[in-house]
Amino acid sequence: MHILVCVKQVPYAQNIAIDPVTNTLVREGVESILNPFDGYALEAAARLKDANPAIEIHALSMGPPQAEAALRECLAMAADKGYLATDRAFAGSDTLATSYILSETIRYIEREQGISFALIFCGKQAIDGDTAQVGPQIAELLGMAQVTNGLVCELQDNKLFIWRETDEGKEQVAVELPCLATFTKPGFEPRLATVRRRTAARRAEISVIGAQELQESDFNRMGLKGSPTQVKRTFAPTLKAGGVVVDTAQDPAAVAHLAQLLVERHIISTVK
Amino acid sequence: MDNPSRDLWVFVETNQDGTARKVGLELLNPGRRLADQQGGKLVAVVLAEDTTLAVKAVLPLGADTVMTITGAPYRQFNTEVYTAALCYLLQKYQPQTFLLGATSNGRELAPRISSRLQTGLTADCTQLHLDESGLVAWTRPAFGGNIMAEILCPKHRPQMGTVRPGVFKLPAVTAKRGEVIAESFPFDLPLNKLQVVQVINEVSSLVDLEGAEIIVAGGRGVGSAQGFQVLRTFAETIGAEIGASRGAVDAGWIPHAHQVGQTGKSVSPRLYIACGISGAAQHLAGIGSAEIVLAINQDPNAMIFKIADYGIVGDLFEVLPLLAQELRSRLGSASSETTQYHV
Amino acid sequence: MKYTPVSPDVIALLEEVTPGRVVVGNAINPDYSRDEMPIYGTHQPEVAIDVHSTAEVSAIMKICHQNNIPVTTRGAGTGLVGGSVPIYGGVVICTAQMNQIISFDEEQFGVVTQPGVLLETLKSEALKRGLMYPPDPGQKLATIGGNVSTNAGGMRAIKYGTTKDYVRGMTVVLADGEVMHIGANVAKTSMGYNLVQLITGAEGTLGVITELVLKLIKAPKLEISVMAPFADLDTALLAVPKIFKSSFRPTALEFFERDILELSESYVGKKVWPREVQGAPVQAYLLMIFDGDDMEEIDPIIEKMADFLLDAGAMDVMVADTVTKINDIWSARSAFLDCIMDSYKLYDENDVVVPIHKISEFVAFFTQEAEQYDFEVRYLGHAGDGNLHIFGVSNTMEEEPFKAQIHLWMEAMYTKALEMGGELTGEHGIGSGKISYFEDYVSERVIGLHAAIKEAFDPKGILNPGKVVRGR
Repeated sequence: MHILVCVKQVPYAQNIAIDPVTNTLVREGVESILNPFDGYALEAAARLKDANPAIEIHALSMGPPQAEAALRECLAMAADKGYLATDRAFAGSDTLATSYILSETIRYIEREQGISFALIFCGKQAIDGDTAQVGPQIAELLGMAQVTNGLVCELQDNKLFIWRETDEGKEQVAVELPCLATFTKPGFEPRLATVRRRTAARRAEISVIGAQELQESDFNRMGLKGSPTQVKRTFAPTLKAGGVVVDTAQDPAAVAHLAQLLVERHIISTVK
Repeated sequence: MDNPSRDLWVFVETNQDGTARKVGLELLNPGRRLADQQGGKLVAVVLAEDTTLAVKAVLPLGADTVMTITGAPYRQFNTEVYTAALCYLLQKYQPQTFLLGATSNGRELAPRISSRLQTGLTADCTQLHLDESGLVAWTRPAFGGNIMAEILCPKHRPQMGTVRPGVFKLPAVTAKRGEVIAESFPFDLPLNKLQVVQVINEVSSLVDLEGAEIIVAGGRGVGSAQGFQVLRTFAETIGAEIGASRGAVDAGWIPHAHQVGQTGKSVSPRLYIACGISGAAQHLAGIGSAEIVLAINQDPNAMIFKIADYGIVGDLFEVLPLLAQELRSRLGSASSETTQYHV
Repeated sequence: MKYTPVSPDVIALLEEVTPGRVVVGNAINPDYSRDEMPIYGTHQPEVAIDVHSTAEVSAIMKICHQNNIPVTTRGAGTGLVGGSVPIYGGVVICTAQMNQIISFDEEQFGVVTQPGVLLETLKSEALKRGLMYPPDPGQKLATIGGNVSTNAGGMRAIKYGTTKDYVRGMTVVLADGEVMHIGANVAKTSMGYNLVQLITGAEGTLGVITELVLKLIKAPKLEISVMAPFADLDTALLAVPKIFKSSFRPTALEFFERDILELSESYVGKKVWPREVQGAPVQAYLLMIFDGDDMEEIDPIIEKMADFLLDAGAMDVMVADTVTKINDIWSARSAFLDCIMDSYKLYDENDVVVPIHKISEFVAFFTQEAEQYDFEVRYLGHAGDGNLHIFGVSNTMEEEPFKAQIHLWMEAMYTKALEMGGELTGEHGIGSGKISYFEDYVSERVIGLHAAIKEAFDPKGILNPGKVVRGR
């Protein structure tokens, strides 16, 4: 059985700063990491493989050449093969164009290797774009059933039994294969890379797929050309301006004063 | 779409019992404004086994038309079925703009529809307006709430966007009543490839964070699951719902259903009390619509104090019981029992 | 010890030195009465002053010296042996607001800093310039003045040494207010008695440090973490001396057992470390850091290390080489102390040092000793240098019986550690908390020499009295 995991390399969120002049993100000195939600998707695939070692895990990323590092990280953790979809023709893609490129790449890999993917796993969203759109859009393009916000899963009777997060709690669903699942944070972190796997990963060959390989595809649906949405502008969020801060260590009556304020201004009007 | 109208459609999601989920009703608010500016009608679309209740809720809120598809296949949300039915309607009527609530179902449905119709979708919008060229300008947070982006969909139709519950308030009731159009899906519905096996609700009572007027939320400063009991006792006193930051949820002290923030719920209470929450951008992204923020934290340098209307530097385990006492003495509590604060 | 209570006249004199900053009595921040180990006692000072300069400290010392008032210096108050608790009242001088880094010397690899600079600030500012201040105590929010006063250690000691190896010079205000400049930013010195090293680790009992000249080194560009799960602790510990006998030079080498990891990961809320390897449960872990300037340099070392560890009985060997992975595996380790302090009402600890090949024996010893008592044991250690952090903890006992039992346990441990050829404390110091053990376990001659040195520096005994060495 073959599982494809879609991953993205994203900036490390802790260090995000906005350039006040251009109103865009400062990219210098910001490290790149494997999107954390994609790590959970890979771990879910890895656990299926732990239960059934015959499963092969393929990691695919669309990005600039440096995204290769994220793919090697996936190989070091659990993936068997890595693929990088990269080409200038892909640049400027919004989620729809990205989903198209990824679906076409997935089809290409299947044809080229004579396999078909029973499962496609993705992180629920990328922590830069935060849209959570690419997974479901790929499912649509490939005509697959989709499950989102997955936590843990297992295979049984040719179905994927998966627990997912809902607005009220959790539910378990059974989905027919082939299907696409997006993952959110479960109660465990992705496995660490072992030294042996890391050494092998550093030497592994990552297949590069570009415009040449996707010649049969529709280039009008890629890149800027293929993007229905465009960013008009970016700006720093306007935060509320802070108000009054009191310190209980310095003013023992602080809480009493606050209670008075809340009552006077009808912010709290009843108590039990 | 070759000939889109000027109409704006809002998907009013329903619960299994046929009641309308609040977010769809909230979207009729910006929906009306934008439909007027676009020069078209405001249309609400409802899919349910029995659409009566939802239609009743929608009609007084200003929609010109309520479009319904009724039937057993629509009782429970199912991506394949809902996508097929909605795409059929959207292709038949060709609205200019389509809004959906960014609920967990909405976030399944919207990208699927946008992909099938090959149109642009902007998720989790916090503001909507028409820009100078008459296009919808969709404003949304990115990078965990650290930056805001304004997105346009210049050519593809419908222009689509999802909005989180609580971002907009319900529209005012109007005297005018729109018309109801009962539609139907004329083809075979797609097979259901997904079966629900088990459901676990982690929210004990009917928690509605998105509709709550007062929320008491706890972060890492609460320190433990037991610590949340102090917040619960205080919340009961003032009639508040319980929320939590991602830090508290990740630590396993409270279920995810209570999480507020970028990867949780967006809330718009009259009063948001943040206890032991540092105020990371991801959390602030969820409370942007709160009217008043009160922060209690031991760290005077916590980010939350920069945006709080009132801040108390102190130990929440001391402040909350004391505050409850002070409020009671001013508002006259009927209770003669002293509340026990156990940690 | 007869000290004079602080009078209104003295307060007026102090006000002239630091107008508006002389805080008296109940207005004093309660934090100034304690450090991170309240079990060793808390005590309110009569006066607290947040100082801003050497001149102010000098003037304050003159006044206190003349009036026989004890003075306790305090940084961030993160000490673990009661060192900054003013047990005789008097004045607390807090250096936290003297938090400026005065200058970096990128040619001579040095930095001049005020004592209130936080350790994490010093480290990050140095890194911005491609430099490193290597000592790495766990408490990053301690001040550098406090670190120097306790000769703080940290986990990088096995490769880089401890704080004392990086203190080149200082400005010290003596008990009578005289300001003394000693040392210089040079690599070698043979000029008389090494007063800089004497005051380093003296816990504020010989003078008040108001400026420091510290050595820095070039920062390695990369750091990789390697971790090995083991089926049992003994196998893990047996591997440790072998690591040093081979040519490996890890920057840090830590060990811990499964139960402290579980406690810590549930506190942090993130489960990253493996609990089992191919179905077999993990009971102990070794965690190492290797640094270097590029992957080509580090990779072969890691690969050899992995082979070595597998031969030594590791169940597998993992590596963290991205910023998120490194943060993830270290956040549990960094949280050990906090999670113990937050999870238990009563806790006491020691940080004995034992020879590394005796760690296993020592762990067996103290765990067995503790069985007769009602408290629980939590511990971890710097396997690389044999410095252990051993906690007795309880949520169910009463304070007095807890202290009594702990005292017996500590005594047994100290005796054993010294028998094995170790030391009572690797990093935390003596303070007031460990003073009776220090007196019991060290020779009278050594105590006498300590007293004589103290007398030479502070004949009136007003500098942090009751710490390290008792007064007359």
